[in-house]
Amino acid sequence: MASIQNSFVPQFFNVIHPLYDVPEQKCTSEGLGRIRMTRAVRISLGVLRAYLIVMSLMLGYHVLDLAGVLHRSF
Amino acid sequence: MRLAELEREEETQLSEETQTDLVLIPEPQGVMVRHKWQKHLLTYLMVFGPGLIVMVADNDGGAVSTYMQAGGQYGLHLLWTLVVLLPICYFVQEMVARLGIATGKGHAAMIYSRFGKWWGRFSLFDLLVVNFLTLITEFAVISLAFSAMGISPRIAVPAAALGLTLLVITGSYLRWERAVIALCLLDLTWFVLAFLVHPSWATVARNTLVPTMPLGGVTSSLVFLVIAVVGTTIAPWQLFFQQSCVAEKRLRFSDLKWARLDTLIGSLITVTVAGAMMLVGNYGFQHGIVFQDPAQFAVAIMPMLGHFVRNSILLLMVNAAVLGATAISLASAWAYGEVQGWEHSLHKKLWEAPGFYATYILCVGAAAAFVLIPHVPLQLVIVSVQVFAGLILPSAIIFLQLLLNDRELLGDRWVNKPWNNTINWIIIVVLFALSLLLAAQVMLPNLFN
Repeated sequence: MASIQNSFVPQFFNVIHPLYDVPEQKCTSEGLGRIRMTRAVRISLGVLRAYLIVMSLMLGYHVLDLAGVLHRSF
Repeated sequence: MRLAELEREEETQLSEETQTDLVLIPEPQGVMVRHKWQKHLLTYLMVFGPGLIVMVADNDGGAVSTYMQAGGQYGLHLLWTLVVLLPICYFVQEMVARLGIATGKGHAAMIYSRFGKWWGRFSLFDLLVVNFLTLITEFAVISLAFSAMGISPRIAVPAAALGLTLLVITGSYLRWERAVIALCLLDLTWFVLAFLVHPSWATVARNTLVPTMPLGGVTSSLVFLVIAVVGTTIAPWQLFFQQSCVAEKRLRFSDLKWARLDTLIGSLITVTVAGAMMLVGNYGFQHGIVFQDPAQFAVAIMPMLGHFVRNSILLLMVNAAVLGATAISLASAWAYGEVQGWEHSLHKKLWEAPGFYATYILCVGAAAAFVLIPHVPLQLVIVSVQVFAGLILPSAIIFLQLLLNDRELLGDRWVNKPWNNTINWIIIVVLFALSLLLAAQVMLPNLFN
Protein backbone atom coordinates (compact mmCIF):
# COMPACT_ATOMS: atom_id res chain seq x y z
CA MET A 1 0.00 0.00 0.00
CA ALA A 2 1.53 3.24 -1.08
CA SER A 3 1.87 5.91 1.59
CA ILE A 4 0.64 9.41 0.86
CA GLN A 5 3.24 12.05 1.58
CA ASN A 6 2.18 15.57 2.32
CA SER A 7 4.59 17.81 0.45
CA PHE A 8 2.87 21.03 1.54
CA VAL A 9 5.27 23.16 3.50
CA PRO A 10 3.67 26.37 4.76
CA GLN A 11 5.52 29.67 4.62
CA PHE A 12 5.78 31.86 7.69
CA PHE A 13 6.91 35.42 7.95
CA ASN A 14 8.73 36.78 10.95
CA VAL A 15 7.84 40.39 11.71
CA ILE A 16 10.16 42.17 14.12
CA HIS A 17 9.54 45.57 15.64
CA PRO A 18 12.23 48.06 14.54
CA LEU A 19 13.17 48.75 18.14
CA TYR A 20 13.98 45.08 18.78
CA ASP A 21 15.71 44.34 15.50
CA VAL A 22 19.44 44.10 14.89
CA PRO A 23 20.84 47.63 14.24
CA GLU A 24 21.72 48.43 10.63
CA GLN A 25 24.85 50.09 9.31
CA LYS A 26 23.51 53.54 8.45
CA CYS A 27 24.96 56.13 6.08
CA THR A 28 27.42 58.08 8.18
CA SER A 29 29.05 61.48 7.75
CA GLU A 30 32.03 60.44 9.86
CA GLY A 31 35.27 61.25 8.09
CA LEU A 32 33.47 62.98 5.23
CA GLY A 33 33.92 66.51 6.52
CA ARG A 34 31.80 69.27 5.03
CA ILE A 35 29.54 68.88 2.06
CA ARG A 36 31.22 69.29 -1.33
CA MET A 37 30.70 72.83 -2.68
CA THR A 38 29.05 72.04 -5.97
CA ARG A 39 27.45 74.83 -7.97
CA ALA A 40 24.01 73.97 -6.59
CA VAL A 41 25.25 74.06 -2.99
CA ARG A 42 27.09 77.37 -3.54
CA ILE A 43 24.06 79.03 -5.14
CA SER A 44 21.65 77.68 -2.50
CA LEU A 45 23.76 78.89 0.41
CA GLY A 46 24.30 82.24 -1.33
CA VAL A 47 20.55 82.73 -1.78
CA LEU A 48 20.00 81.71 1.83
CA ARG A 49 22.57 84.29 3.03
CA ALA A 50 20.93 87.01 0.93
CA TYR A 51 17.51 86.04 2.30
CA LEU A 52 18.77 86.18 5.87
CA ILE A 53 20.38 89.59 5.28
CA VAL A 54 17.08 90.97 3.92
CA MET A 55 15.20 89.51 6.89
CA SER A 56 17.74 90.95 9.34
CA LEU A 57 17.45 94.39 7.72
CA MET A 58 13.67 94.24 7.97
CA LEU A 59 13.91 93.13 11.59
CA GLY A 60 16.35 95.97 12.35
CA TYR A 61 14.04 98.47 10.69
CA HIS A 62 11.10 97.10 12.67
CA VAL A 63 12.97 97.35 15.98
CA LEU A 64 14.05 100.95 15.22
CA ASP A 65 10.50 101.75 14.17
CA LEU A 66 9.08 100.33 17.41
CA ALA A 67 11.68 102.26 19.39
CA GLY A 68 10.48 105.46 17.71
CA VAL A 69 13.95 106.28 16.32
CA LEU A 70 12.69 106.62 12.74
CA HIS A 71 9.95 109.11 13.62
CA ARG A 72 11.96 111.35 15.94
CA SER A 73 12.08 114.95 14.70
CA PHE A 74 15.39 116.76 15.08
CA MET B 1 14.42 24.65 18.14
CA ARG B 2 13.80 24.94 14.44
CA LEU B 3 11.95 28.17 14.96
CA ALA B 4 14.85 29.64 16.85
CA GLU B 5 17.24 28.80 14.00
CA LEU B 6 15.05 30.37 11.39
CA GLU B 7 13.67 33.37 13.23
CA ARG B 8 16.05 35.88 11.57
CA GLU B 9 14.98 34.90 8.07
CA GLU B 10 12.19 36.92 6.50
CA GLU B 11 10.45 33.89 5.03
CA THR B 12 10.56 30.85 7.26
CA GLN B 13 9.35 27.39 6.49
CA LEU B 14 8.00 25.30 9.31
CA SER B 15 6.99 21.72 9.70
CA GLU B 16 3.34 20.76 9.58
CA GLU B 17 3.20 20.24 13.33
CA THR B 18 3.81 23.89 14.01
CA GLN B 19 1.15 25.21 11.64
CA THR B 20 -0.62 28.06 13.34
CA ASP B 21 -1.38 31.52 12.15
CA LEU B 22 0.44 33.26 14.94
CA VAL B 23 3.50 32.11 16.82
CA LEU B 24 5.25 34.34 19.34
CA ILE B 25 9.03 34.28 19.28
CA PRO B 26 10.71 35.29 22.52
CA GLU B 27 14.14 36.49 21.31
CA PRO B 28 14.54 38.74 19.36
CA GLN B 29 10.98 39.88 19.81
CA GLY B 30 9.12 39.06 16.64
CA VAL B 31 5.79 37.75 15.53
CA MET B 32 5.38 34.86 13.11
CA VAL B 33 2.51 35.28 10.67
CA ARG B 34 1.20 32.98 8.00
CA HIS B 35 0.13 35.32 5.23
CA LYS B 36 1.87 38.09 3.35
CA TRP B 37 -0.94 40.55 4.00
CA GLN B 38 -0.60 39.88 7.73
CA LYS B 39 3.10 40.58 7.46
CA HIS B 40 2.49 43.86 5.64
CA LEU B 41 -0.23 44.97 8.03
CA LEU B 42 1.79 44.11 11.11
CA THR B 43 4.94 45.77 9.76
CA TYR B 44 2.95 48.91 9.01
CA LEU B 45 1.45 48.92 12.50
CA MET B 46 4.91 48.55 14.00
CA VAL B 47 6.44 51.30 11.86
CA PHE B 48 3.62 53.83 11.90
CA GLY B 49 3.74 56.66 14.42
CA PRO B 50 6.27 59.37 13.56
CA GLY B 51 4.45 60.42 10.35
CA LEU B 52 1.04 60.43 11.96
CA ILE B 53 2.19 62.23 15.11
CA VAL B 54 4.10 64.96 13.27
CA MET B 55 1.21 65.70 10.98
CA VAL B 56 -1.57 65.63 13.59
CA ALA B 57 0.54 67.62 16.07
CA ASP B 58 0.92 70.16 13.28
CA ASN B 59 -2.73 71.03 13.89
CA ASP B 60 -1.68 72.58 17.18
CA GLY B 61 -3.33 75.31 19.25
CA GLY B 62 -2.33 78.07 16.84
CA ALA B 63 -3.51 76.03 13.87
CA VAL B 64 -6.98 75.54 15.41
CA SER B 65 -7.23 79.30 15.67
CA THR B 66 -5.98 79.94 12.12
CA TYR B 67 -8.22 77.37 10.40
CA MET B 68 -11.31 78.40 12.36
CA GLN B 69 -10.57 82.03 11.61
CA ALA B 70 -10.28 81.15 7.89
CA GLY B 71 -13.74 79.56 8.07
CA GLY B 72 -15.12 82.29 10.32
CA GLN B 73 -14.02 85.15 8.06
CA TYR B 74 -14.22 83.66 4.57
CA GLY B 75 -16.62 80.74 4.91
CA LEU B 76 -15.62 77.80 2.73
CA HIS B 77 -13.65 79.86 0.21
CA LEU B 78 -10.21 78.81 1.51
CA LEU B 79 -10.84 75.05 1.54
CA TRP B 80 -8.91 74.64 -1.72
CA THR B 81 -5.70 75.79 -0.03
CA LEU B 82 -5.69 72.54 1.95
CA VAL B 83 -5.76 70.49 -1.25
CA VAL B 84 -2.70 72.41 -2.47
CA LEU B 85 -0.97 71.92 0.88
CA LEU B 86 -1.47 68.14 0.97
CA PRO B 87 1.28 67.24 -1.55
CA ILE B 88 3.56 69.94 -0.13
CA CYS B 89 3.24 68.42 3.36
CA TYR B 90 3.83 64.95 2.04
CA PHE B 91 6.86 65.70 -0.16
CA VAL B 92 8.65 67.71 2.53
CA GLN B 93 8.04 65.19 5.30
CA GLU B 94 8.85 62.22 3.04
CA MET B 95 12.34 63.69 2.53
CA VAL B 96 12.72 64.01 6.30
CA ALA B 97 11.66 60.39 6.89
CA ARG B 98 14.02 59.16 4.15
CA LEU B 99 16.97 61.11 5.58
CA GLY B 100 16.19 59.85 9.09
CA ILE B 101 16.03 56.23 7.94
CA ALA B 102 19.19 56.51 5.82
CA THR B 103 21.35 58.19 8.48
CA GLY B 104 19.71 57.27 11.80
CA LYS B 105 20.48 60.84 12.90
CA GLY B 106 18.47 63.98 13.57
CA HIS B 107 18.29 67.00 11.26
CA ALA B 108 20.30 69.31 13.55
CA ALA B 109 23.16 66.80 13.78
CA MET B 110 23.25 66.42 10.00
CA ILE B 111 23.36 70.21 9.45
CA TYR B 112 26.23 70.47 11.94
CA SER B 113 28.26 67.69 10.40
CA ARG B 114 27.77 68.62 6.72
CA PHE B 115 27.47 72.43 6.76
CA GLY B 116 29.74 73.33 9.66
CA LYS B 117 29.35 74.97 13.03
CA TRP B 118 28.09 78.37 11.84
CA TRP B 119 25.06 77.02 10.00
CA GLY B 120 24.59 74.39 12.68
CA ARG B 121 24.49 76.95 15.50
CA PHE B 122 22.29 79.30 13.50
CA SER B 123 19.75 76.54 12.78
CA LEU B 124 19.78 75.25 16.34
CA PHE B 125 19.46 78.70 17.93
CA ASP B 126 16.66 79.71 15.61
CA LEU B 127 14.86 76.41 16.14
CA LEU B 128 15.08 76.67 19.92
CA VAL B 129 13.79 80.26 19.90
CA VAL B 130 10.88 79.67 17.53
CA ASN B 131 9.96 76.44 19.35
CA PHE B 132 9.95 78.17 22.72
CA LEU B 133 7.79 81.02 21.42
CA THR B 134 5.40 78.54 19.81
CA LEU B 135 5.24 76.63 23.10
CA ILE B 136 4.12 79.81 24.82
CA THR B 137 1.26 80.07 22.33
CA GLU B 138 0.31 76.43 23.08
CA PHE B 139 0.04 77.19 26.78
CA ALA B 140 -1.86 80.38 25.99
CA VAL B 141 -4.41 78.23 24.12
CA ILE B 142 -4.62 75.83 27.09
CA SER B 143 -5.18 78.79 29.39
CA LEU B 144 -7.83 80.26 27.09
CA ALA B 145 -9.75 76.97 26.74
CA PHE B 146 -9.77 76.17 30.45
CA SER B 147 -10.77 79.74 31.32
CA ALA B 148 -13.80 79.35 29.05
CA MET B 149 -14.63 76.14 30.94
CA GLY B 150 -14.45 78.01 34.22
CA ILE B 151 -11.16 76.47 35.36
CA SER B 152 -8.49 78.86 36.53
CA PRO B 153 -5.33 78.97 34.36
CA ARG B 154 -3.32 78.91 37.61
CA ILE B 155 -4.50 75.32 38.03
CA ALA B 156 -4.88 74.23 34.41
CA VAL B 157 -1.54 75.46 33.03
CA PRO B 158 0.73 73.89 35.71
CA ALA B 159 -1.35 70.69 35.49
CA ALA B 160 -0.84 70.58 31.72
CA ALA B 161 2.90 71.18 32.16
CA LEU B 162 3.07 68.35 34.70
CA GLY B 163 1.12 66.03 32.40
CA LEU B 164 3.43 66.86 29.49
CA THR B 165 6.44 66.04 31.67
CA LEU B 166 5.01 62.75 32.93
CA LEU B 167 4.28 61.78 29.34
CA VAL B 168 7.98 61.58 28.43
CA ILE B 169 9.78 60.48 31.58
CA THR B 170 8.57 56.88 31.54
CA GLY B 171 11.84 55.71 29.97
CA SER B 172 10.00 54.15 27.06
CA TYR B 173 9.60 55.58 23.57
CA LEU B 174 6.75 53.18 22.85
CA ARG B 175 4.79 54.28 25.91
CA TRP B 176 5.09 57.91 24.82
CA GLU B 177 4.19 57.03 21.24
CA ARG B 178 1.07 55.04 22.20
CA ALA B 179 -0.20 57.81 24.49
CA VAL B 180 0.37 60.43 21.80
CA ILE B 181 -1.29 58.32 19.09
CA ALA B 182 -4.35 58.05 21.37
CA LEU B 183 -4.41 61.86 21.58
CA CYS B 184 -4.02 62.02 17.78
CA LEU B 185 -7.08 59.81 17.35
CA LEU B 186 -9.10 62.13 19.60
CA ASP B 187 -8.50 64.79 16.95
CA LEU B 188 -10.87 62.85 14.69
CA THR B 189 -13.71 64.28 16.81
CA TRP B 190 -13.42 67.34 14.54
CA PHE B 191 -15.19 65.26 11.88
CA VAL B 192 -18.14 64.72 14.24
CA LEU B 193 -18.32 68.47 14.85
CA ALA B 194 -18.13 69.14 11.12
CA PHE B 195 -21.18 66.90 10.59
CA LEU B 196 -23.05 68.49 13.48
CA VAL B 197 -22.81 71.98 11.92
CA HIS B 198 -24.57 70.62 8.77
CA PRO B 199 -22.63 72.36 6.00
CA SER B 200 -23.81 72.21 2.40
CA TRP B 201 -21.70 69.28 1.20
CA ALA B 202 -22.09 70.28 -2.44
CA THR B 203 -20.57 73.69 -1.63
CA VAL B 204 -17.84 71.99 0.40
CA ALA B 205 -16.95 69.76 -2.56
CA ARG B 206 -16.99 72.69 -5.00
CA ASN B 207 -14.82 74.95 -2.81
CA THR B 208 -12.41 72.11 -2.12
CA LEU B 209 -11.78 71.38 -5.78
CA VAL B 210 -12.22 74.82 -7.36
CA PRO B 211 -10.57 77.95 -5.91
CA THR B 212 -13.28 80.57 -5.49
CA MET B 213 -13.07 84.21 -4.52
CA PRO B 214 -14.82 85.48 -1.37
CA LEU B 215 -16.95 88.62 -1.50
CA GLY B 216 -14.66 91.64 -1.54
CA GLY B 217 -12.06 89.99 -3.81
CA VAL B 218 -8.35 89.75 -3.07
CA THR B 219 -7.54 91.89 -0.07
CA SER B 220 -4.32 92.05 1.93
CA SER B 221 -6.03 90.37 4.88
CA LEU B 222 -7.12 87.49 2.62
CA VAL B 223 -3.60 87.10 1.20
CA PHE B 224 -2.07 87.03 4.65
CA LEU B 225 -4.60 84.60 5.99
CA VAL B 226 -3.70 82.28 3.09
CA ILE B 227 -0.03 82.70 3.99
CA ALA B 228 -0.85 82.04 7.64
CA VAL B 229 -2.64 78.82 6.62
CA VAL B 230 0.46 77.74 4.68
CA GLY B 231 2.75 78.73 7.55
CA THR B 232 0.58 76.83 10.01
CA THR B 233 0.52 73.70 7.90
CA ILE B 234 4.28 73.59 7.28
CA ALA B 235 6.14 74.49 10.46
CA PRO B 236 9.92 74.32 10.91
CA TRP B 237 9.88 72.10 13.99
CA GLN B 238 8.21 69.36 11.94
CA LEU B 239 11.39 68.73 9.93
CA PHE B 240 13.52 68.33 13.05
CA PHE B 241 10.87 66.37 14.93
CA GLN B 242 10.11 63.67 12.38
CA GLN B 243 13.74 62.99 11.51
CA SER B 244 14.67 62.61 15.19
CA CYS B 245 11.56 60.53 15.83
CA VAL B 246 12.40 58.18 12.95
CA ALA B 247 15.96 57.85 14.29
CA GLU B 248 14.61 57.27 17.81
CA LYS B 249 12.35 54.49 16.54
CA ARG B 250 15.32 52.98 14.68
CA LEU B 251 13.38 52.52 11.48
CA ARG B 252 15.19 50.23 9.05
CA PHE B 253 15.92 50.69 5.36
CA SER B 254 13.14 48.23 4.53
CA ASP B 255 10.67 50.34 6.53
CA LEU B 256 10.85 53.28 4.13
CA LYS B 257 7.71 52.35 2.17
CA TRP B 258 5.75 52.03 5.44
CA ALA B 259 7.17 55.30 6.74
CA ARG B 260 6.02 56.90 3.47
CA LEU B 261 2.54 55.45 3.94
CA ASP B 262 2.54 56.67 7.54
CA THR B 263 3.46 60.16 6.35
CA LEU B 264 0.85 60.09 3.59
CA ILE B 265 -1.92 59.00 5.97
CA GLY B 266 -0.78 61.60 8.49
CA SER B 267 -0.86 64.29 5.78
CA LEU B 268 -4.36 63.25 4.71
CA ILE B 269 -5.59 63.37 8.31
CA THR B 270 -4.00 66.75 9.00
CA VAL B 271 -5.57 68.45 5.97
CA THR B 272 -8.98 66.84 6.39
CA VAL B 273 -9.06 67.73 10.10
CA ALA B 274 -8.01 71.28 9.14
CA GLY B 275 -10.91 71.27 6.67
CA ALA B 276 -13.27 70.15 9.44
CA MET B 277 -12.06 73.09 11.56
CA MET B 278 -12.84 75.44 8.67
CA LEU B 279 -16.34 73.94 8.40
CA VAL B 280 -16.94 74.59 12.10
CA GLY B 281 -15.65 78.15 11.67
CA ASN B 282 -17.91 78.53 8.64
CA TYR B 283 -20.92 77.96 10.91
CA GLY B 284 -20.06 81.23 12.64
CA PHE B 285 -19.62 82.93 9.25
CA GLN B 286 -23.11 81.82 8.19
CA HIS B 287 -24.72 82.92 11.46
CA GLY B 288 -23.01 86.30 11.75
CA ILE B 289 -20.78 85.39 14.71
CA VAL B 290 -17.64 87.52 14.71
CA PHE B 291 -14.59 85.32 15.24
CA GLN B 292 -12.11 86.50 17.86
CA ASP B 293 -10.57 83.28 19.08
CA PRO B 294 -11.71 79.63 19.18
CA ALA B 295 -12.73 79.75 22.88
CA GLN B 296 -14.91 82.84 22.37
CA PHE B 297 -16.33 81.18 19.25
CA ALA B 298 -17.16 77.95 21.16
CA VAL B 299 -19.01 79.94 23.81
CA ALA B 300 -20.81 82.07 21.20
CA ILE B 301 -22.23 79.10 19.26
CA MET B 302 -23.38 77.21 22.37
CA PRO B 303 -26.94 78.62 22.33
CA MET B 304 -27.37 77.25 18.79
CA LEU B 305 -25.42 73.98 18.90
CA GLY B 306 -25.46 73.02 22.57
CA HIS B 307 -23.03 72.08 25.31
CA PHE B 308 -21.52 69.11 23.49
CA VAL B 309 -20.18 71.23 20.64
CA ARG B 310 -18.94 73.96 22.99
CA ASN B 311 -17.14 71.54 25.29
CA SER B 312 -15.77 69.51 22.40
CA ILE B 313 -14.22 72.58 20.77
CA LEU B 314 -12.67 73.66 24.07
CA LEU B 315 -11.31 70.19 24.84
CA LEU B 316 -10.03 69.76 21.29
CA MET B 317 -8.20 73.07 21.65
CA VAL B 318 -6.47 71.65 24.73
CA ASN B 319 -5.75 68.38 22.94
CA ALA B 320 -4.24 70.22 19.98
CA ALA B 321 -2.09 72.38 22.25
CA VAL B 322 -0.88 69.37 24.27
CA LEU B 323 0.03 67.46 21.10
CA GLY B 324 1.84 70.48 19.71
CA ALA B 325 3.61 71.11 23.01
CA THR B 326 4.99 67.59 23.42
CA ALA B 327 6.16 67.39 19.79
CA ILE B 328 7.74 70.85 19.81
CA SER B 329 9.50 70.34 23.16
CA LEU B 330 10.82 66.98 22.00
CA ALA B 331 12.04 68.51 18.72
CA SER B 332 14.05 71.01 20.81
CA ALA B 333 15.34 68.43 23.29
CA TRP B 334 16.37 65.97 20.57
CA ALA B 335 18.08 68.66 18.48
CA TYR B 336 19.93 70.21 21.42
CA GLY B 337 20.86 66.83 22.90
CA GLU B 338 22.28 65.45 19.68
CA VAL B 339 24.32 68.57 18.95
CA GLN B 340 25.69 68.60 22.50
CA GLY B 341 26.56 64.92 22.20
CA TRP B 342 24.35 64.04 25.17
CA GLU B 343 22.25 60.94 25.55
CA HIS B 344 19.04 62.05 23.87
CA SER B 345 16.54 59.25 23.86
CA LEU B 346 13.14 58.49 25.31
CA HIS B 347 14.44 54.94 25.84
CA LYS B 348 16.65 56.29 28.61
CA LYS B 349 15.57 56.84 32.18
CA LEU B 350 15.52 60.35 33.61
CA TRP B 351 18.92 59.93 35.28
CA GLU B 352 20.47 58.30 32.21
CA ALA B 353 19.81 61.29 29.92
CA PRO B 354 19.63 64.25 32.33
CA GLY B 355 20.51 66.94 29.77
CA PHE B 356 17.91 65.76 27.28
CA TYR B 357 15.10 65.58 29.84
CA ALA B 358 16.20 68.84 31.47
CA THR B 359 15.90 70.61 28.10
CA TYR B 360 12.38 69.23 27.61
CA ILE B 361 11.26 70.09 31.14
CA LEU B 362 12.86 73.53 30.97
CA CYS B 363 11.08 74.33 27.69
CA VAL B 364 7.71 73.17 29.03
CA GLY B 365 8.12 74.73 32.48
CA ALA B 366 9.38 78.10 31.25
CA ALA B 367 6.65 78.43 28.60
CA ALA B 368 3.96 77.53 31.18
CA ALA B 369 5.38 80.01 33.68
CA PHE B 370 5.53 82.74 31.01
CA VAL B 371 1.83 82.38 30.26
CA LEU B 372 0.96 82.80 33.93
CA ILE B 373 2.64 86.21 34.10
CA PRO B 374 -0.14 88.82 34.37
CA HIS B 375 -0.61 91.01 31.26
CA VAL B 376 1.93 89.00 29.30
CA PRO B 377 2.45 90.49 25.77
CA LEU B 378 1.09 87.53 23.81
CA GLN B 379 0.71 89.58 20.64
CA LEU B 380 4.47 90.23 20.68
CA VAL B 381 5.07 86.49 21.09
CA ILE B 382 2.85 85.67 18.10
CA VAL B 383 4.63 88.26 15.93
CA SER B 384 8.02 86.90 17.01
CA VAL B 385 6.96 83.36 16.14
CA GLN B 386 6.14 84.49 12.61
CA VAL B 387 9.45 86.33 12.24
CA PHE B 388 11.62 83.50 13.56
CA ALA B 389 9.64 80.89 11.62
CA GLY B 390 10.31 82.99 8.53
CA LEU B 391 14.03 82.66 9.27
CA ILE B 392 14.20 78.98 10.14
CA LEU B 393 11.76 77.34 7.71
CA PRO B 394 13.49 78.30 4.44
CA SER B 395 16.91 77.56 5.97
CA ALA B 396 15.93 74.15 7.30
CA ILE B 397 14.24 73.19 4.07
CA ILE B 398 17.23 74.28 1.96
CA PHE B 399 19.54 72.15 4.13
CA LEU B 400 17.12 69.25 3.80
CA GLN B 401 17.10 69.51 0.03
CA LEU B 402 20.90 69.77 -0.16
CA LEU B 403 21.36 66.81 2.19
CA LEU B 404 18.98 64.74 0.07
CA ASN B 405 21.27 65.47 -2.90
CA ASP B 406 24.44 64.60 -1.01
CA ARG B 407 25.65 61.49 -2.87
CA GLU B 408 28.85 61.38 -0.84
CA LEU B 409 26.76 60.85 2.31
CA LEU B 410 23.75 58.92 1.05
CA GLY B 411 24.89 57.14 -2.08
CA ASP B 412 22.64 56.68 -5.09
CA ARG B 413 19.96 54.74 -3.21
CA TRP B 414 18.71 57.52 -0.94
CA VAL B 415 19.29 60.73 -2.86
CA ASN B 416 16.41 62.56 -4.54
CA LYS B 417 15.40 61.50 -8.02
CA PRO B 418 15.32 64.30 -10.66
CA TRP B 419 11.48 64.54 -10.55
CA ASN B 420 11.71 64.71 -6.78
CA ASN B 421 14.15 67.61 -7.03
CA THR B 422 11.94 69.51 -9.47
CA ILE B 423 8.94 69.30 -7.13
CA ASN B 424 11.00 70.15 -4.06
CA TRP B 425 12.68 73.20 -5.62
CA ILE B 426 9.26 74.53 -6.60
CA ILE B 427 8.06 74.02 -3.01
CA ILE B 428 11.18 75.73 -1.66
CA VAL B 429 10.79 78.78 -3.93
CA VAL B 430 7.12 79.11 -2.93
CA LEU B 431 7.92 78.77 0.78
CA PHE B 432 10.77 81.32 0.50
CA ALA B 433 8.45 83.82 -1.16
CA LEU B 434 5.62 83.28 1.33
CA SER B 435 7.94 83.43 4.35
CA LEU B 436 9.46 86.67 3.07
CA LEU B 437 6.03 88.14 2.39
CA LEU B 438 4.69 87.18 5.81
CA ALA B 439 7.77 88.53 7.60
CA ALA B 440 7.56 91.73 5.55
CA GLN B 441 3.91 92.14 6.47
CA VAL B 442 4.71 91.65 10.14
CA MET B 443 7.78 93.92 10.21
CA LEU B 444 6.88 96.51 7.59
CA PRO B 445 3.09 96.78 7.87
CA ASN B 446 3.10 100.27 6.32
CA LEU B 447 4.17 98.77 2.99
CA PHE B 448 0.86 96.95 2.74
CA ASN B 449 -1.50 99.71 3.82
